[in-house]
Amino acid sequence: MTTYPVLTVTIFLPLVGAALILLFGGERLARWIALATTLGTLAVSAPLYLHFDKASSTLQFVESRDWIPSLNIAYALGVDGISLPFIFLATLLSILCVSASWTAVQTRVGEFYAALLVAETAMIGLFAASNLLLFFIFWELILVPLFLLIGVWGGPERVYAAVKFLIFTLAGSVLMLVGIIALYVTLGTLDFKAMAQAGESLQPVHQAWLFAAFLAAFAVKVPMFPVHTWLPNAHTEAPTAGSVILAGILLKMGAYGFLRVSIPVLPDAVELFLPAMLVISAVAIVYGAYVTLAQTDVKRLIAYSSVSHMGFVTLGIFTLNQSGVEGAILQMINHGIISAALFLCIGMIYERTHTREIKDYGGVAKTAPVYSTLLALFCLAAAGVPGLNSFVGEFLIIGGAFQTQVWLGAMAVWGVALGTAYLIWLYYRVVMGELNSGLEGLRLELNAREVATLAPLALLAVCLGLYPECVLSYLRAPVTELLAAGAIP
Amino acid sequence: MIGATLSDLGLLVPELILVGMASMLVLAARRIQRAPVAVVGTVLAALAATLVAGWDLSGGARTGFGGMITLDGYSQFFKVLIGVTLALAALLSVRSVDRDQVPRAEYHVLLLLASTGMMLAVSALDLLVVYLGLELMTICSYILVGIRVERPTSNEAATKYFLLSSFASALLLYGISLTYGVTGTTDFSAIALALSEQDTGSNPLLLAAIGLVAAGLAFKVSAVPFHAWVPDAYQGASAPVAAFLAAGSKAAGLAVLGRVCVVAFGSEAHVLSVFLAGLAALSIVVGSFIALSQTDMKRLLAYSSITHVGYALLGLMAGTSEGVSATMTYAFFYVFMTIGTFGVIIALGERGEHLNGYQGLASQRPGTAMLMLIFLLSLTGIPPTAGFVAKFVVIMSAVREGFVVLAVLAVACSVVTAFIYMRVAVLMYMKEPQETAPSRFPVAVSAALAVAALVTVIGGISPGILAPWAVSP
Repeated sequence: MTTYPVLTVTIFLPLVGAALILLFGGERLARWIALATTLGTLAVSAPLYLHFDKASSTLQFVESRDWIPSLNIAYALGVDGISLPFIFLATLLSILCVSASWTAVQTRVGEFYAALLVAETAMIGLFAASNLLLFFIFWELILVPLFLLIGVWGGPERVYAAVKFLIFTLAGSVLMLVGIIALYVTLGTLDFKAMAQAGESLQPVHQAWLFAAFLAAFAVKVPMFPVHTWLPNAHTEAPTAGSVILAGILLKMGAYGFLRVSIPVLPDAVELFLPAMLVISAVAIVYGAYVTLAQTDVKRLIAYSSVSHMGFVTLGIFTLNQSGVEGAILQMINHGIISAALFLCIGMIYERTHTREIKDYGGVAKTAPVYSTLLALFCLAAAGVPGLNSFVGEFLIIGGAFQTQVWLGAMAVWGVALGTAYLIWLYYRVVMGELNSGLEGLRLELNAREVATLAPLALLAVCLGLYPECVLSYLRAPVTELLAAGAIP
Repeated sequence: MIGATLSDLGLLVPELILVGMASMLVLAARRIQRAPVAVVGTVLAALAATLVAGWDLSGGARTGFGGMITLDGYSQFFKVLIGVTLALAALLSVRSVDRDQVPRAEYHVLLLLASTGMMLAVSALDLLVVYLGLELMTICSYILVGIRVERPTSNEAATKYFLLSSFASALLLYGISLTYGVTGTTDFSAIALALSEQDTGSNPLLLAAIGLVAAGLAFKVSAVPFHAWVPDAYQGASAPVAAFLAAGSKAAGLAVLGRVCVVAFGSEAHVLSVFLAGLAALSIVVGSFIALSQTDMKRLLAYSSITHVGYALLGLMAGTSEGVSATMTYAFFYVFMTIGTFGVIIALGERGEHLNGYQGLASQRPGTAMLMLIFLLSLTGIPPTAGFVAKFVVIMSAVREGFVVLAVLAVACSVVTAFIYMRVAVLMYMKEPQETAPSRFPVAVSAALAVAALVTVIGGISPGILAPWAVSP
């Protein structure tokens, strides 16, 4: 197979790049080092996709070394069909972030790219970790670069947004730390697979407390209603690259945590909390969509739409049937692609107009046809139009929801309708009609670098829409195993 | 008997090295005009003492001086820690000694003797030797705090420290005498034996004895409600002295507390754990909430050090050997991250002592800002830094013993402390500079910062690294 430890190299190559930038970072050099590092990371991760066995639900590319011998905790990595797509998404989005920030970031360039690369290490590490302590370390590690990305290179309200982001997520994750310690003390292991096997021995009461502790961390990250209030600030004030990482990867970490920890290890508690989780998800879908409709700031609108879209994801996960869970994971990938693309689109036009107010736009299609076409594609994809990627995910989730409770399915459908409304209305106000007088004389059309940045995401949106099996085939075996072991009401 | 005494001296070689260097500096005091001589001498003596203390014992633990002094893994661990603390504090003092026109030789002599007291206290197997060691440390500390004689704040701090600390020493001594009254001895293992033989279920005298000893020691480590001297003492002292006190005297105090709890009063663990749990909870809550409103960096770190002592006590509270080794780990990493943070304050000079001095530091001195960020993250307990590992082990020992509520309280307060530390990070990274860039700082300060940062990072990446040495007595 391969001659090097693929996962370790993939995780830590960006960290090496960050160190190089900090040591030798001139402005120009920093950009090129960052680009080379992110491309190199994708290259070294190639064996993951070439040699992966989709039919197996076991961890592959497993690495295990002694790490904390006194506690019998290993440095253990491995990927299965659930984590692999996220690693791909993280490496891809990192490249696009470097490219998208090429001219947008002009101050303290070296530190910016170093922070971005540290974030990439944390993202990949999180999805590659096969033990809970390692997972937690990457979970926390990502806070620091994102805190700096938002707070240093963000918009006018950046400091408030950065601190709010940090405190919210930290408040959630410290409770998870107690949960992790309690799990370790009772089960004697933090390995995901071993915990899943030992988890049934836990008392239901303990499970419920542990579930609550982990819920605090995961719900803030997803974010679930009502702890979503950090999201609009953080996403809106972050620089484009920060928004892309937040929307593309960070929001998936919480849902991934449910799949890795809560459902396999705490089946009794899942059963107990199930109704509440489903209701919260349904509320998030509809409430999120209505709030999105009311937004007047483009970036804030997309940020709020994430609340609604992530509601679909948690709804799918807690249907606990094959269709719903597969749809949820697929939808996480889809949302990662589309929301990243929408934030990139907004960032590109903001670089030219320096306004995020919808009323300052209008008639963009007149001067920027390529941009308008790509934006149309992503808006339609986000709205769940058949033939584009979100459709399949939402379809599977809604199917799963109808199997569980009819009214849940109905709420989800309602959410889709509202989603179409806010996206089409946004597109109408920004792109259609007469050219806004404030935009006259501006060169709004994308340049080649920007088209190249959006192209991979456009391609993925179409491919996954036409042939979702290329992701679903990875999910089938691990999701089947997850549901067979966990609670099925 | 004279032969036995001579071989007993082998147990105290690190202390003898420090005392020897102190004596030489005293003798040469009038001739030492240039700072480097005293600094170099102190650092060399500290490193020599550290090496000797850390030398692997092939014959296991040894005791001497009629069973009053021991050389075991526990005392070795803390002696190494104290030796390194002394070396780092001496390195960090280079500039402030010049600037404040402090008598050079005397300053270093006091550092050396205070460290000698700490080392003596951590290797003591007898309450009276503990008292001797701690008093040697404390008396030197009063003078170090007040050594900037021309500053009123410094004098005020020293006076407050002296008055409150004498009171605490009296408590400790009273506790020791009550212990003697109950058990007829001041030797740790003899106390344990006496307590196991007699039915002590509800002996009020014993409870008073334990309470007084623990209170006296809690004062030395500055746990709430015995913390009142700390903010003033740190604020009034020069930053290197504050660093030395925050790191060294707390480590020594925790070490003594650990040995007393486990060895001497091990049979009364149920009483002690309630007492220590109360101290820990109060320290964590009070320290973190009061730190929120501080704008003077030394004062802020004083309150944060109180919080950290609370965390460290979580390990001792459990009363198990795992708990004690968790506290050892905590003390070890705490020393380096605290010295590192003070090191950045010292490196920035006057500017570093006030919160607003950190505005825009990252754009002026990115390297210094990044070091500060690493230390602050470690103090917050965010992985992958040593501070996370420290927090992880003590909370684990609390959860293991069933103190889950206390563990939740502790982590909840760590969000409060995150707010405090990240305020500095916000100022450094997200504000525009208001003052001119700080001048370059001496090589000695850079060296101390590098050591502290290295330990903070390596400890975080390789959490098991201390485990073979952090072994309870």
